[in-house]
Amino acid sequence: MSFREKSAWISLVSLVVVFGAYFSYIGMVLAGLARNRFALFLVMLAVFIIAEVVLHLVIATQSPRDARTPKDEREQLIELKATRTAFYVLLVSAVGSIGTVHLRLSDPDDHLWLMMQAVLFSIVCAEAVKFARQIVLYRRDA
Amino acid sequence: MDTAIRNTIRRLRFDQNEMTQQALADKVGVTRQTINAIELGKYSPSLEVAFRIAAAFGVPLEQVFQFDGPQSKA
Repeated sequence: MSFREKSAWISLVSLVVVFGAYFSYIGMVLAGLARNRFALFLVMLAVFIIAEVVLHLVIATQSPRDARTPKDEREQLIELKATRTAFYVLLVSAVGSIGTVHLRLSDPDDHLWLMMQAVLFSIVCAEAVKFARQIVLYRRDA
Repeated sequence: MDTAIRNTIRRLRFDQNEMTQQALADKVGVTRQTINAIELGKYSPSLEVAFRIAAAFGVPLEQVFQFDGPQSKA
């Protein structure tokens, strides 16, 4: 497995695990089973960044030459294709996020909070699709 | 998806004292995985990389790559 493919796997798994846990908590907040805490988002973001940096350092130590080598034309093409797919996911889910303003909520501030969560969810979904598509393209061309 | 471009990279590597894919990749300036994808016909390189591969073997471009499309049969 190439360094870039390992990198995509790390990003995908980190994203799904960390933000999967975060949105599970948000689901509990929406169900009235937990209280909203903005600090949780900052904690999850920090965990995600630390996981990304540490795991990338590990694979860079295992294959330092690959880590230093800039992306070649095939890897750039794979990244472009994956980003294009992710863009459509982001576009559709961002438009869907606007729909949250039509939900009947008692507190107007809740609309803002919910839309923020929906936009964040859209970004996470788009990123996850980007990394997943990169992995598929790396596997198919291997 | 396989391309319509055939290549003789495997044969040329064998002729060059069994040059490894990594050694060729280093000469060309791409990753070993990209050389492997080109060799298996799963990725068509840019013209520049194609010329670099030919130069790495010291042979003309057409000795490395051949086009199997309909126009080549005319």
